[in-house]
Amino acid sequence: MNDSLIWLFAAPLLASLLSVLLPRKAVLICLFAVSITLISSLIVLSTVIESGAFYYALSGWQTGLAISLYVDGLSALMLVMTAIIATAISIYATAYFHNAEQQRFYWPLWMMLLCALNVLFIAADLFNLYVGLELLGLTAVALTAIDGKPEAIRAAIRYLVVGLLGSLAFLAGVSLVYTAYGTLDIAAISEQIQVNFYSGLIVTFITIGLIIKTALFPMHFWLPMAHANAPAVVSAALSALVIKVAFYLIIRLWLELFSDFNNVGISYLFSTLGALAILWGGWNALHAQRLKLLAAYSTIAQIGFLFMALGMILLLPDGEVRNTLIGGTVILAITHGFAKSALFLAAGIIQQHAGHDRINELSGTAQRLPITTFTLTLAGVALIGLPPSGAFLGKWYLISSVVAEGLWLWVAIILIGSLLSAAYIFRLLGHAFGRIERPKRLLAIGREEVPALLLALTATLLLAFTAAPLWSILENASGVYG
Amino acid sequence: MENLAWYILDAMLIIALIGLAWLTLTNHNLRQAIIFFIAFGLLLALVWFRLAAPDVALAEAAIGAGLSGALFLTSLSQQKQTNKKDDPLKTTSTKFFDSFQNQFLNLLFVILALVFSAAFVFALMEADPDRLSPTVLMNLEQTGVSNPVTGVLLDFRAYDTMLELAVLLSAALGIMALGPVKTHYYPSGDMLSSLSQWLVPILILFSGYILWAGAHSPGGAFQAGALLAAAGVVLNLTGDRQVKLPNYWLLRGLTIGGIAGFLIIGLLLMLSGRAFLDFPSQWSGTLILFIESFATLSISIILLIAFQSGEPQEWEHESKKLALKNTAGKTKIKGKTLC
Amino acid sequence: MLSTQLIYGIAGIVLFVLSLRVAFSTELFLRQVLAINVAGAGLFLTLLSVAFKGLEQPADPIPQALVLTGIVVAFSATALALALGKKLAENSPDER
Repeated sequence: MNDSLIWLFAAPLLASLLSVLLPRKAVLICLFAVSITLISSLIVLSTVIESGAFYYALSGWQTGLAISLYVDGLSALMLVMTAIIATAISIYATAYFHNAEQQRFYWPLWMMLLCALNVLFIAADLFNLYVGLELLGLTAVALTAIDGKPEAIRAAIRYLVVGLLGSLAFLAGVSLVYTAYGTLDIAAISEQIQVNFYSGLIVTFITIGLIIKTALFPMHFWLPMAHANAPAVVSAALSALVIKVAFYLIIRLWLELFSDFNNVGISYLFSTLGALAILWGGWNALHAQRLKLLAAYSTIAQIGFLFMALGMILLLPDGEVRNTLIGGTVILAITHGFAKSALFLAAGIIQQHAGHDRINELSGTAQRLPITTFTLTLAGVALIGLPPSGAFLGKWYLISSVVAEGLWLWVAIILIGSLLSAAYIFRLLGHAFGRIERPKRLLAIGREEVPALLLALTATLLLAFTAAPLWSILENASGVYG
Repeated sequence: MENLAWYILDAMLIIALIGLAWLTLTNHNLRQAIIFFIAFGLLLALVWFRLAAPDVALAEAAIGAGLSGALFLTSLSQQKQTNKKDDPLKTTSTKFFDSFQNQFLNLLFVILALVFSAAFVFALMEADPDRLSPTVLMNLEQTGVSNPVTGVLLDFRAYDTMLELAVLLSAALGIMALGPVKTHYYPSGDMLSSLSQWLVPILILFSGYILWAGAHSPGGAFQAGALLAAAGVVLNLTGDRQVKLPNYWLLRGLTIGGIAGFLIIGLLLMLSGRAFLDFPSQWSGTLILFIESFATLSISIILLIAFQSGEPQEWEHESKKLALKNTAGKTKIKGKTLC
Repeated sequence: MLSTQLIYGIAGIVLFVLSLRVAFSTELFLRQVLAINVAGAGLFLTLLSVAFKGLEQPADPIPQALVLTGIVVAFSATALALALGKKLAENSPDER
């Protein structure tokens, strides 16, 4: 069963290599690898459910000397989410590209991106995290620029430079860690870490690096252009997965390794930045002229919600309420992953049909693509947080814990943020449902529309029903790495 | 007395280092800036040497100073080609002390430097000075190599090295996706041609030696790969039309060979019941050399692709291109004799 | 030995902060990439100063391996960045 852990990164990596060697078979190879990743993630999840969290010592040496891997309930859930979304995106991608020319470099890079995501979810070593973040960043940038359009290249350059600055901050933290604690293994560090001046700086550096990568306000400025101008199939992965893994790392580190540094100031900082992100993202999404731009701003807003939830989690004392909120945040993050990827994939379909993604001119196209419009609607419902979507559950717990603490300003912001989401989603749907003519066919491009639809259905319907098992899986995630 | 000599040396190195960095970063003329950057890299290699890190010194000189510098220079010349109307000497000046905003930023960064330095000093004072070093040295002989850096890179932390090769490959893929190689060089004059006839074989020889020596003295796959890539760069610069990369299958195979070596061996070990990349002690040295050989070739090709900054014409099948074929005696680099 | 570590470590920090300062204030892409490279070099210097144990003993191999990895990663990022810059300059010659 431990082997499945290895296949999580080995399968995509092998597929990437084989796609380089045998480009004509690339699609087959990658779909096969993605299925293996999916199966492995499910095996890992079931192993964690049965026997709890576990370590894997690479290269056969004891932990501390070599690099170890670690999986618990939280990472297992993230791995499964990533695998499912990656499968949908991959199927979609088989129909997305018009010619073999464009695809040549997409498949190897996409598989590398998937490998990087999985590497980050199972990492238990600080420098391993650094290398994984670099791999993630470079593949994401390369994919953003893959169609060669000037706006995409410009966005990719900004993405790269900002990402590198984030990595430098992270590396500064890592060098201080090795100086102070003489080890890179997170479990070993957590045994030794104390609250003092230099450790505080370590925490600051690493957090800033990750905040840049997760595009939290005020480090959000690179995201709209990058996600809006990348090909839709890439943006889906960027918004749903790449951003999410950085948030996962922040949650993981602040709940475990950095937990001693937690104080009211930190939680208010996260919540304030989250609040600003919610308002800024929502406001700009409302005024966005293009569908992908709307989706990108929506991502910034949703990250804001997640950080507000994190702030709340850090404020609460240990106990039932806190654990429930952690569960709610996780389900919020997962729902956003499914919903946002569905939204981007649908936007891609629309853009290919209409040649553009301007919201004001969407009506005719939406009529011709009824399934896609349905997908948009479902994704929109999940993004607003209406029942029965998973996001509703997450926001419900968030609001109830904020109300319980009496933080009325935060309640107001959450409600305003949700209203803004409703506003921009309904604006989008209003244009999409404009009446022109009768739809000719129900399903335009099966391989594109069906994955997008399934993602949206998961976001809106399925996830709420998985809440109870999710809670119990997360209980395996308590405690530090050690 | 001896300590004083070292202090003076260190002071000179550090002043020169920071001075070169300053000259690089605040230069109005980009070409000068890049040349200072190369000098900075070479001086840094010297510093690594002074700090008893010869493996890193080799890599810094070859990759950090040499190949990076070459990359910057070609990038600059391409920039000039497309911006014909810009005077290459006029660039945006860096104003550091004029506006209030700039002074505020200066203050901010000075505070950052002080805080970071203080944290570093405290951390250094309070920490156990041995860190992981004794553990590594204790277990080193089971790795089959006696160079501790090679042991760490290819055994203890082999996973990171594999991922690092993946980073290299991803960068190369991203670069190739942007378009074909556009810079072609004129056939060089006598001096470069005759120099290259001496230099390239020596580089190839050194590359092989450094790869082999990496097991017991400073060296290893990255340094060897960089040397081989340097040979490729020199050949590139001579503008010799007969010099080509290996053909389709060999080229793609060698490009993925480094990571493939790690993966396949790691997976085979895993499937035979051991952990991923858990080398059995008696074969460890051999396996490491095996993986390193493929890694060297991979690294050299990827570094060369990065230098050329585009998709090489050998990357796709001959039949897909309109390029005229060279009939007279094709020569190939990488392991074949020049004729 | 400790003093050597200190002066080189702080020199590395100075390089790091100096480069970041330049990176934030320049509009030239090439210079930004140079600055990021020098900043990385500064961090590597700090790491390797910690590895130094005097000339009689071998230096700590872990930071050496980290820095080697870092050099390669920095090169990869630089190469991609410059290629993107070149592509942008081709498409729209009025960009810098």
